[in-house]
Amino acid sequence: MSYFGEVALGSSFQPFAAFQEQFGFVPKLFRAQTLLPRVIEAESALISAILFTDKVLARTQKECILLVLAAANQNAYCLCLHYQMLKLLGVAEQRLDQIVTDYRQADLSPATSALLTLVFKLGTKEAVPEASAHGLSDESILEAILITGLSRLLCTLSTGVGAIPDFAPRSIPSLQIPLADTDHSAEFFRSTPKLPDDFEPMLFMRKEFGLVPKVFSAQTLRPDILQAEADALRNLLPSEDALSRAQKRDILLAGADLETLRERGFTENQVLEAVVTTSFAGFFNVLQTGLGAGSYFAAKMPAKKAHLSTPEQRHSAVTTSVDPDAECVARVQGGDLNAFEELMNRHSQRVYRTLVGILGNPDEARDAMQDTFLKVFQHLAGFEGRSKFSTWLVSIASNTAIQRLRERKPMESLDESAPDEEGFRPRQVQAWTDDPEQLYSQAEMRSLIENGVMKLPVKYRVVLMLRDIEQLGIEEAASALGLGIPAIKARLLRGRLMLREALAPHFIPSGIKGSAKGVTN
Amino acid sequence: MINCADFMAEIGNYLEGDVAEEVRLQLEHHLSHCQTCTVLVDSIRKTVRIVTDTGSFDLPEATFRPIAERIMSRIRDTQK
Repeated sequence: MSYFGEVALGSSFQPFAAFQEQFGFVPKLFRAQTLLPRVIEAESALISAILFTDKVLARTQKECILLVLAAANQNAYCLCLHYQMLKLLGVAEQRLDQIVTDYRQADLSPATSALLTLVFKLGTKEAVPEASAHGLSDESILEAILITGLSRLLCTLSTGVGAIPDFAPRSIPSLQIPLADTDHSAEFFRSTPKLPDDFEPMLFMRKEFGLVPKVFSAQTLRPDILQAEADALRNLLPSEDALSRAQKRDILLAGADLETLRERGFTENQVLEAVVTTSFAGFFNVLQTGLGAGSYFAAKMPAKKAHLSTPEQRHSAVTTSVDPDAECVARVQGGDLNAFEELMNRHSQRVYRTLVGILGNPDEARDAMQDTFLKVFQHLAGFEGRSKFSTWLVSIASNTAIQRLRERKPMESLDESAPDEEGFRPRQVQAWTDDPEQLYSQAEMRSLIENGVMKLPVKYRVVLMLRDIEQLGIEEAASALGLGIPAIKARLLRGRLMLREALAPHFIPSGIKGSAKGVTN
Repeated sequence: MINCADFMAEIGNYLEGDVAEEVRLQLEHHLSHCQTCTVLVDSIRKTVRIVTDTGSFDLPEATFRPIAERIMSRIRDTQK
């Protein structure tokens, strides 16, 4: 169906519920990104605010812009999607064919015609003044620019993830109207009302970029859109992404050649994140051009915070290694069920610990093992060995557990965007005894550890479980959980600090209680 | 010269052995005269060691066996 495997996210996954309501189905474009639910959340925030909200332009007008731009960009996936949406909105096929071929001959309303002319000319000096002269309000012009950005986002995404059209593919007509070359000197957008100083999205931008980039201050007509853009960026920015800056540079140099990235050892999640990041850069790039707000978005991102060591020093390179399970996986793919049993035996501990780490309950974890392994079996035919089998397995286990967690407790999630480093200060700073292992029996020690680990919040617990108990590498844990390396490191440290705090009373000489071997013996 | 807050910002990378040589020397210089950070590093290392070594959250073979059998029987059913 696409370049990336699909993982079931459950009916309670909010973005899918919104797509279901607004499109009548969940487009394959989004199903192709289920390895990283947070990027779907980022896209959904933006799509809901721009496309699903009826504020200025009608949904039909917006879909019409998306349709025409999909055709102009020769994007078969988006062409089918928007063609189908307009059909559902009641536009006849014959009329749609005419719009796609040449909207100027399609007898559209003057306003819709003016909107389409605007988006075709976007980025030239005359685009916005001409649209105003045709009677379009600033609000309409801004919304048309946002839709153009959204079109770039959707076209780049669909190409990047290799989505196959949701409906019977349509042929793309030969291009009648070329897209205008931009001259990068368009006037600034005129009406930019001042928002309150404490408007949260602006505070967020300032914190993130050191200033509010013009592309955002040019959109103050629509605080709701700014809010959605801030929400989307929170899910995408460096603290939560799967790639280091050095890797992103590699990706930019390698372009959209996903096979090359895979050959270089990038994991599925990293490649997907690269596709999504590029797509969002495209969205903001269109906005900057359309609003006359300066240069390429990505080029303006400053380093997030100063560290003692550089990112390159802190991130070790992604390496490809031989997968010890490859031979067994190939046998299962060839129909050997005993080989699947062998894979289960090899990895049962790892799957179980991932599930306990997220679910926090051994009974439920045992129960979820069946779901996990059945999903693994079901999808194994499509597994092409681009990541290690064990990484892929842990990512399926973690998605299975997250889905259960969402059904049970909608508030607790792994990918929440709250910062990880705030608010925890170690309180116990007395020295520990030299040889803590000698103080308790192994059973007592296990019970201390298990109780302590179970009390950790889920996002720290699962990382600690994978890294310290299951001994996964940082990068493997990041890839399996769909989190960035910085996020994994921050959560691991926090988990260790919290567990240390909980264990300290048992290991500081003055606090050792009667159950300790040294006292009872 | 780094202080305790600087040290805390790098402690995760330091424990993972993932800092440049120059930074490591600065951090260790701080440790040589800061009792609190020394206790923290030592107790985190001990925490990681006991967490890793105690075999916590083991799934006993006897518990896993029936689960594995149920899974295999479901899979064999679908293959018929």
